[in-house]
Amino acid sequence: MAFQLTPVWFIALPLLVAFAAPLWVRLGLLMSMLFATPLVLFGLAVSLFPAVGDAPLLETIVIAPPLGIHLHLDSASLLMVALFNLAGVLFASFLWLGDTEPHLRGRGPFVLILLLITGCTGLVLTGDLFNLYVFLEIAGVSAYALSALRRDKTALEAGLKYLIIGSVAAIFILLAIVLLYLETGQLNLAALARDFGDIPAAMQGLIGLLLLVGLGVKAELFPFNVWVPDIYRGSDPAVTSLFSGILVKAFLFVLFHLVFLLLADPAVARAWLMALGALTMLVAELVALRQQDMRRMLAYSSLGQVGLITLALGFASEATTAGALFHMVNHTLVKMLLFFVAALMLRRFLSLRLADLRGVGHAMPVATALFVLGSLAVLGLPPLSGFVSKLCILKGFAEAQAFWPIALILLAALIEAGYYFRWIKVFYDSDPAAPQCRSDDGPAYLPLVLIAGLLLLLGVAPFLIEDWFVQAARALLGRGTILESVLGVQS
Amino acid sequence: MSLMIKILFLAVSLSPALTLSTWGESLAWPLFGGIELLFDLNPISAFFLLLLALGAPLVALPMLRGAPDRPAYALYALLLLGMQLLLLAGDFIGFFVGWEIMTWSSYLLLLRSSRTDLEGAQSYILFNLASAFLLLAGILVFHSLTGDFRIQAIDQLGGPEPLALAVLFGLAFLIKVGTLPLHLWVPRAYDQAPDIFSAFLSALMSKMGVYGLILLATLFPEALSGLLGRLLNGPAAGYILAWIGVITSIVATFKAISQEDMKRLLAYSSIAQVGYITTAIGVGSSLAIGGALFQALVHTLVKLLLFITVAGIILQTGRRRFNDLGHLIDRMPISFLAVLIGIIGLAGMPPLPGFAAKYLIFVSLIDARWLLLLAAMLLSSTAAFIYCYKLIYAPFLGHANSPEAKTATEAPWPYLVPQVILMGLLVALGIFPGFGIQFLIDPVLTALGLAPIGAPSWGELATPYGGYDGVVLMTVFGTAFALVTGGFFLLRGRMRRAGSPYDLSYAGEVPTADTPLHYGAGMGRELRRIPLIGWILLHTTTGFLTGLTRQSLAAAGLLGGFYGRNPQTWILLAVLLFALALTLVTLTGGAL
Amino acid sequence: MLEFLDSPRVLHGIYILGSLTLFFIGLYGLLAKRHLLKALIGIAVMELSVYLLFIALATSPGETAPILADGLIDFTGMADPIPQALTLTAIVIGMAVLALGVSLAIQYHRLTGNSDMRAMTELKDS
Repeated sequence: MAFQLTPVWFIALPLLVAFAAPLWVRLGLLMSMLFATPLVLFGLAVSLFPAVGDAPLLETIVIAPPLGIHLHLDSASLLMVALFNLAGVLFASFLWLGDTEPHLRGRGPFVLILLLITGCTGLVLTGDLFNLYVFLEIAGVSAYALSALRRDKTALEAGLKYLIIGSVAAIFILLAIVLLYLETGQLNLAALARDFGDIPAAMQGLIGLLLLVGLGVKAELFPFNVWVPDIYRGSDPAVTSLFSGILVKAFLFVLFHLVFLLLADPAVARAWLMALGALTMLVAELVALRQQDMRRMLAYSSLGQVGLITLALGFASEATTAGALFHMVNHTLVKMLLFFVAALMLRRFLSLRLADLRGVGHAMPVATALFVLGSLAVLGLPPLSGFVSKLCILKGFAEAQAFWPIALILLAALIEAGYYFRWIKVFYDSDPAAPQCRSDDGPAYLPLVLIAGLLLLLGVAPFLIEDWFVQAARALLGRGTILESVLGVQS
Repeated sequence: MSLMIKILFLAVSLSPALTLSTWGESLAWPLFGGIELLFDLNPISAFFLLLLALGAPLVALPMLRGAPDRPAYALYALLLLGMQLLLLAGDFIGFFVGWEIMTWSSYLLLLRSSRTDLEGAQSYILFNLASAFLLLAGILVFHSLTGDFRIQAIDQLGGPEPLALAVLFGLAFLIKVGTLPLHLWVPRAYDQAPDIFSAFLSALMSKMGVYGLILLATLFPEALSGLLGRLLNGPAAGYILAWIGVITSIVATFKAISQEDMKRLLAYSSIAQVGYITTAIGVGSSLAIGGALFQALVHTLVKLLLFITVAGIILQTGRRRFNDLGHLIDRMPISFLAVLIGIIGLAGMPPLPGFAAKYLIFVSLIDARWLLLLAAMLLSSTAAFIYCYKLIYAPFLGHANSPEAKTATEAPWPYLVPQVILMGLLVALGIFPGFGIQFLIDPVLTALGLAPIGAPSWGELATPYGGYDGVVLMTVFGTAFALVTGGFFLLRGRMRRAGSPYDLSYAGEVPTADTPLHYGAGMGRELRRIPLIGWILLHTTTGFLTGLTRQSLAAAGLLGGFYGRNPQTWILLAVLLFALALTLVTLTGGAL
Repeated sequence: MLEFLDSPRVLHGIYILGSLTLFFIGLYGLLAKRHLLKALIGIAVMELSVYLLFIALATSPGETAPILADGLIDFTGMADPIPQALTLTAIVIGMAVLALGVSLAIQYHRLTGNSDMRAMTELKDS
């Protein structure tokens, strides 16, 4: 076959499509390309899955690792790539069918969205620390620009704030990378993993903390996530769905990929990460109780879920890791659904404040029903997929006889129910002042209904893709396999 | 189109009956990571499924009135699906799935009422989710003990885990049945729910908690005796449960007496009646469980009847407070008869089957020699007569206190058909208590590993402490009833001439606006003067829960302060934390 | 007299001190100055200090530039080329971020007439 299906296409194709944007504008194919590119890549990811299950795919660029740079495609990163591209498809179809605002449909957003997906894909695929930094900045810059896309006061303020805090985080990460190189003379992740143990303990601590702060800011861990609500509030709800659905997941993946890879014994970081996760979860859920704006509420809810995922990944047992990866997928789908609903409501009511949305259930029955469905999935109520992933995480904890995370997760879910159901109740209030004309513009709901269907399908028949998560968890935790496949030695 | 939807909906409401009659093999559905959902019909779940099969179409029938309410139909179908999953589940995950589907679909149905306020809705969903999450925690403890999710007895007792398990499961189910002090959501929800749906909530959904409590008994064989040993002639752990049930029923009975609203009264009465069931399950002997099941059966029939009748009254008059009603006996005779039968069943008076149920529970208490409990239970079941009286007097007798009550007509047929069916069932069960024991209760008892009670004939109820013959009893009471009613109708014309009901309250004085024109008015108000009861009526857990809400909101506000608006603060926070952690790491010698 | 400066330890020590100083100057600018452009300058200075640290510590005195030219085909005595390549890349990226930041700041200023970071309160709503 002349046309080689290699991991490099995941990065090269969106870049090529993005930079040919003027051509698509001329041909009038902008939206269809935005839709087709992630769709093709999603198909590619699915077709690669059986091959990757046997052995990780390495895509060497110029020189073989550890000297050259390479892309490392194993089950875990493939899962992430598939997720990102699926999210890209859903997002593009929402933009395309939803007749969204012009500032989301031009050439600029087209390029930025593709760049964001590329950056996130690169983050999870790269096997090299410096490329990690490059992709991190690609994803970052496109996110800052997307955030400010609307070019009004709130959007610009959000974009600026995002840029400032994001750049500081990037400096921390860059400093950590510099120190790692100076200590080991390596940039290849596998080689670094081999040599990390030889670095003096104090320096290990410094590097670890620098990475933790830098990636903690990016992956929205408490107490480094104070910026999140403002940014989510200021950006377009549709764009925010990308932040919550793709960007955070990529950084969470990078954080844990590094932790599992660099530390021969992840138990060292377990206490730190689990504590951070539990704190993130509880604090965010509590604060969300008082929010009056839907975007802020969803932002805090998103933080809460990130905390849950961190807690489960930090425990680093195979069951909880598989559950956490499953939960990542669910959370991406759910938050895209909820933010799309928010976008539709914002377009209709020009406000997302709780008081202004009273009785919206009578004006937009389908959108509200989808919001209810999404809330149920976030809360982890059966028969939606959030339940299965949460159950998987909880079961993992129970099997390891660790009961405090179970108690905290259930408590957090109860608090979360407290605010989600408050919103639902207000949505269904019978308010004579609410506009009574029912209008649900049809095609815009297609991607939303698709997401809802996926949530239901994964909730009822999770065994369909169970293998993906178990293999991904093994790949993520399997430090030895990675070292062996890259360096060719038994570590 | 709308007719098609209605027929479809009615067909869906018959699905529990269909399941019950055609269930064959057990089913398994693989879920995830070796978790398999097992579904099977055993005698215990068959009993509760029978209740559901009886109740579901009867509640669905009144819902058919008017334009089809499609979302409500869909949610009702989901609710039925959830409850059937719950009952058929052979493993805890399936049980939990059904439990949760039931919870959220019933919550969304609750929101269809325009009377539901934020507080009521929130307390409903939060209490029920708390119950569900306690259940889930219990399931996880169970899993860590046995390595399995199948519902089965725990072999080796000992250590703190089984006790933790019993407490977690127990709390979960007690919230669902609305035991004190976890009952707060019940009156609000029953009161605010759509009128017909209240019947479903009270009659059927509270029984799911009872089902759970009975399952708990299957987890711990010898009916909880293994947990804490025995007391007198019963299990000590059950003694606690029995007291919880009795205290619940006493307090709820007094609360019910002091209610001014028909649905709230029925809600509190429901709590009290389910309290009896809790007590009986605590006793745990064959007689007691038999009594509990019988009481569950009777309570389902009675509460369906009463709530549907009350819904009919509210539909026709638009009024729900006792003070606004009155003198409906002429205008709504069938409803009157329904309430009459209902309260006789509720009060546990012969000849209706409520008597048989209470009789079994009392006998089981004597058998366990828990006489203090027996006395307390007698107190509450006697006090129940008062609210039963209020329920029949205030809406139907006296004189009408609102224009609507003066012009009301009999409820429409979708309301009357279930009433008539339920009345018939109650009377039939009153005549044949032995039938109920033999065909409904005994299979469950056998499945639970208890001795069946048995019945010499369909008409007789027999226990080691004596019994009675339902046929004879019904004949005697029926004859008396016929004589009195016949006499009343014969003398009716003359009695009406003798005076009008208005004479009672006018009695020579000119009433002012605040003069209560109704005997039911203020009834139960004087209860507050009785020392202990007054204290109980004045104190509720509402304050505690409001406080809890306020505290968590305050905590939310405090923590929300972290999430500032200034990017410089964000960076400063990050840098300071970094410096702090670095110092810590350096001080502890570089260990992360 | 100043030969001791040629020893890598001392030289690297000085570089570390210098870049740390730069880093803290940048941080100070970011935290203490309210003007948006000054904050962006602070970020740029912090980035610069990291580049400086990288280049300086990866080179020892006496090493030549890692360029293969003029018949020079031997690798001995050359500085490690990787840090220099990486730093070049990082500078380009930093440049892009800075440009985006400045353009956003200018637009924000045009729209609101405000350039004070602490006065950015459009998002305040609860």
